[in-house]
Amino acid sequence: MKLHLCNKYHLTLSSLLLSCLFAAPLLAQQQQTNTGESPLFRGEQLLINGSYAAAADIFQMADGLDRNEGIVGASKAFFMMGNTQEAINIIEQVIEDDDYASYPLLSTQLAEVKRSIGQSAEAIEILSVLIEGQFEPPVRALVQYGSLLRFVGRKAEAGEYLDRAVQRYNNGLVFASEDVVMVALASWLLGNFHDANSLFDEATRANPNNLEAHVLWGDLFLEKYNASDAERSYQDALDINSRYVPALVGIARVVGDERSLQRALAINPNSVIAMEAYGQLLLMASRQDEALEYFERALNINPESLKTLSILAAQAAFNQREDEYEAFKSQVDEFSPNNPQFLGDVADTFGNNYLFAEAVEFARAAIESDSEYWQGYTLLGSNLIRLGEEEEGKANLEISFENDPFNVLTSNMLKVFDTLETYATLESENFKVHMSQNDADILWPYLEPLLEESWDTLTVKYGFEPEGPILIEVFENTEDFAVRSVGLPDIGPLVGICFGKVVTLISPDTLSANWQEIVWHEFMHVITLQMTNNRMPRWLSEGISVWEEREGRPYWGRSQGLDLVRAATEDKLLHIKDLNSGFSGARNNADLGFAYFQSYLVVDYITEEYGFEKLAEFIDQYAVVKEDSERFNEVFQLTMDQFNDGFLGWIDRRVEEINVFVHTEDVPDEGEGHGHGIRENSSAILAELYNNASLKQHMRSRIEENARDFQAHLQLGIVLFKEEDFEQAKFHLITANDMLPSYTGYPSPALVLSQIYDREENRAEQLRWLEILLENLQHDYDSAMILADAALAGQNFDRAAYYIDRAIQVDPYRSGVHELKARYATAIDDSALAVTEYEVLLKLEISDPVEARTDLAEAYLKNGQIDEAKQSVLYALEEAPSYRRAQEVLLQSLDGAPN
Amino acid sequence: MTRTKTFKLLSIIITLVVSGSLSAQLDEPNNELEGAANYFLDSSDATKWAVIITGPTVGETNQAQFRQWSFSLHDILTRDYGYSSDTITLLYGRGAPALPGGDRVDGATDRQSIEQALSDLASRVATGDQVTLYLIGHGSGAEEEAKFNIVGPDMTGSEFATLLDQFDRQDIVIVNTTSASYGFSTSLSSEGRVVISSTRSPSERYDPIFSRYFIEALDSRNGDRDKNNRVSMLEAFEYAKNNVEAWYEEQGRLASEHAGLDDNGDALFALNPTVDAIDGRLAEIAYIDTLVDDTANLSQEARELKAKMQEIERSVFILRGRKQDFLDANYWEQMEGLLVDLARATGRFNDVAGLPEEEEISADETLSEQTNETPPLQ
Repeated sequence: MKLHLCNKYHLTLSSLLLSCLFAAPLLAQQQQTNTGESPLFRGEQLLINGSYAAAADIFQMADGLDRNEGIVGASKAFFMMGNTQEAINIIEQVIEDDDYASYPLLSTQLAEVKRSIGQSAEAIEILSVLIEGQFEPPVRALVQYGSLLRFVGRKAEAGEYLDRAVQRYNNGLVFASEDVVMVALASWLLGNFHDANSLFDEATRANPNNLEAHVLWGDLFLEKYNASDAERSYQDALDINSRYVPALVGIARVVGDERSLQRALAINPNSVIAMEAYGQLLLMASRQDEALEYFERALNINPESLKTLSILAAQAAFNQREDEYEAFKSQVDEFSPNNPQFLGDVADTFGNNYLFAEAVEFARAAIESDSEYWQGYTLLGSNLIRLGEEEEGKANLEISFENDPFNVLTSNMLKVFDTLETYATLESENFKVHMSQNDADILWPYLEPLLEESWDTLTVKYGFEPEGPILIEVFENTEDFAVRSVGLPDIGPLVGICFGKVVTLISPDTLSANWQEIVWHEFMHVITLQMTNNRMPRWLSEGISVWEEREGRPYWGRSQGLDLVRAATEDKLLHIKDLNSGFSGARNNADLGFAYFQSYLVVDYITEEYGFEKLAEFIDQYAVVKEDSERFNEVFQLTMDQFNDGFLGWIDRRVEEINVFVHTEDVPDEGEGHGHGIRENSSAILAELYNNASLKQHMRSRIEENARDFQAHLQLGIVLFKEEDFEQAKFHLITANDMLPSYTGYPSPALVLSQIYDREENRAEQLRWLEILLENLQHDYDSAMILADAALAGQNFDRAAYYIDRAIQVDPYRSGVHELKARYATAIDDSALAVTEYEVLLKLEISDPVEARTDLAEAYLKNGQIDEAKQSVLYALEEAPSYRRAQEVLLQSLDGAPN
Repeated sequence: MTRTKTFKLLSIIITLVVSGSLSAQLDEPNNELEGAANYFLDSSDATKWAVIITGPTVGETNQAQFRQWSFSLHDILTRDYGYSSDTITLLYGRGAPALPGGDRVDGATDRQSIEQALSDLASRVATGDQVTLYLIGHGSGAEEEAKFNIVGPDMTGSEFATLLDQFDRQDIVIVNTTSASYGFSTSLSSEGRVVISSTRSPSERYDPIFSRYFIEALDSRNGDRDKNNRVSMLEAFEYAKNNVEAWYEEQGRLASEHAGLDDNGDALFALNPTVDAIDGRLAEIAYIDTLVDDTANLSQEARELKAKMQEIERSVFILRGRKQDFLDANYWEQMEGLLVDLARATGRFNDVAGLPEEEEISADETLSEQTNETPPLQ
């Protein structure tokens, strides 16, 4: 049944009539509260304001024609406080001999309460009697009945009752906001999402204090992954009643706010939806045991809690506890056979835990159970994409979109396909890469060899060859990257994500970071994820990927000595068993960055103390399901506590070796590019802005207090450099550098020293310090270029190649580095390399394409590519026919050789 | 403008090149193009004049930047394009600064000085000369109220346009690089004029960096895209525009300026003017420098070779203008034949003329001197 929305005049007139109808009994009211208002009116006010206990009392004062409404109000108030039994009792005391048909409002409320505690069968019975016995049952009764029938799998019957509610609206017989919201719910359940949205709008306009309407509208938005509108709806409800538990839960589901859930449970200790949301939040934070407590409490109150059962079933299936999964499934089947949402939720859990193949299986089962379960197609499509099955994935997303165009996740993912259609697809031996044409022209010549090098190096090292080809998708637009990765446009600081067989990356053109390190890091994830059938915990996978950065290139990785000292001093290191929560519970980028760093340290510890073989053995442990304690015991013959003690002892030794004092007034360096970008030392940067005299004095006093104060030496050196006291500056900067030579923040002692020697026109020392700088710092394009240029001038071709590569790692989109590399190619007589560089330069050139084409033509000619040379120079001459150099190249191309 | 001139070859070529379809042109004479043929005839007899008007500013950084742009432009025009202190008028802020190079300044940028300078110039220019006005500084307001900030009461676009009316027998180019330049620039639009504006919307009010790259395009002929050793206004515009876009991209900022060019007098500024678009035709033939006639001392053989080179080059332009009429392979086959002939003829010419390598000249440098005949149609 489709909805015919009434026009606003109809609505206004109807509302007026209704107001008049309601006004009469109110006037006839005999009993009044001490404020002179009727109990019903006052009770409603208290209920809306969240004064539930007072509302329950006042509602019970209503009598006469208001009595039943008063009891319904009292029942609702009890329910809001979690006093379910009283919410039931107060109604059952009125209804005699199960005569539900005679008490439609009371019966409907009774059925809703019973449903909330898992008595769906009784609720259906009550509503069935009511609806059979009433010529025109209340809209609410019809919709709740339809909803219940749908819940227990009687979808066809459900549709009949839901349609009746919508028909009632279409006939102009639904006026009150409280009933309009029910018609909205009916439309939603019937899959008419657009109508539902309009009706929620109508309901909230008709009565802006309709809390149920605001929250259900928010739930609709949230189901469609429209978090911002959902949050707004929940907030609208909370602005009216800050103690409205469904809205508090809604907000928590949107923003992951634990305090909202604590508040919700303080108001209603038996709120199942709050417990479910809390449990989910704790699960995400890897606080399994606490989560289980909430789920158990939820099931005790409502054994038919579908969300809880699906989460617990997914956990059982995830941990390969088949019997347990089957038990949960049977439990659901008892009240809702083959519930598609249950299967969909299980699929979602698997997908969120990177088990995409299993997620696909469950999504297929959900669709099989109900071919109109559109979310199932979204789940199927998104998980297929993460397995690299793009075509089938897209086809399923399209089915979902056609039937549920409001699902933001679906439409976002389809939009990315539109982007991908404009992308080029390139293939190497083991990789298939989607990237923009710009990246295909400029990045691919450097990406391809790196990908194959990572494959060759890491597959041999780990003795494991992943299933390929590995699909790499490089997105120029950060939102496309985020949507492709998680379905939504905000993904925080992440710059690359590995799904096992698929890797998504932000294009280096959009990024300020070392893109080669990111590629290496992500490919390492491919190995560890596939080695463990995607069961590797995040901390270990990240720890290994970061550790392998340093193995890949000595200047990659994270040299965060100061952070380590600071963390050890402040006792911030997490226990081994809590490492995953370091990621899931990170409150900011700094927390997240430290989670990566500590995970790397653990892997470093394992390889240093136990050897690489033990690391490989440890990885293998995750290919099978078992307890973490068992894994540590089998590989290291230690309990997790013992292992953790060993790790902390090793950290203490490292801190001693670093032997640097970290002052409490210094803040940690702030990194860009999610750990792959430059780390800025904000204190040192600000040193330039401070009052020199006072800063100098302060830093000198700090050094007097502790001679190993690295930051004090660095900042003092910067100030002295500014004052052109170069000798004193050198002393402090060299002291700082000797103290912590691996320091990679910006600015670093080596960088400032190079600048001093530049000012002193001491080229040799300037270059020496730049070399020292680049031994650890991987993000400095300019320094690499200076060193490359100097090496080329000195005909030190190996060093020139090395530093050119270092500059390309930072920014392959600047023509300067390619001009240098082309010069290098010419100098070493590598005509093929020269061609590559001039091809890239042509793509980068914006001011002088004629010159660029002529350069390229010359390079082709020298490389024996006569036809390409001729065509390139013809393009140049087409634009500049009288350009003599190009003319000469053209004539040479006719001769077949350069002069 | 009412003047008429000899119909020179270069204009004819440009006219043909810009026509998308030759046959269409034959059937339906393009009045617009015919009109365009009367402007920027690029004669070696004509003199090119430059007026640089730099508005006042505050702050050391702005002052230094405006000074650097103004003086650099003055020096580049002198060094690379044959201008002299006599053909350049530089009005600068409150007058000559007490700094090195201040002697370049001819006066302050106030209303009286501007009016006087333009009046003086009007008395010196000849018919067919080209006057290029470079405006550097700040602008304000929008549409008719848009103003160029000068010392004293600011000047509106229509006031400035009135001052330009006295140059009705000269070719006029205006390069307006001020902030909020759009409204002011639209007032200057007129048939036969090339107007370049560093912004293309009243909402673009921040100080643009267009000047920097426009001057860079002129410097050492960086903007000479077609390698004929000359820089046209279109080439300089393209160079500056592309580099401005790249600058904003590199800075990771949304561009707060989009330069536009109008040369058909409709006051609508094209973001991507080209020789075959509505705007771009005049700008393509509006060169910064004056054509040099250096054929006087050539031998007969060299003159014949030069004529041949020009003939071939003309054929290249015509073929290029008809590219869409050909199959790709056929087009390139014909183009290759022409370009090879041209390359060989140029090589032979350089040998005969005995020019050292760095002085070798190409066909189009003297192209407009040769003939006023309509080229053969193909």
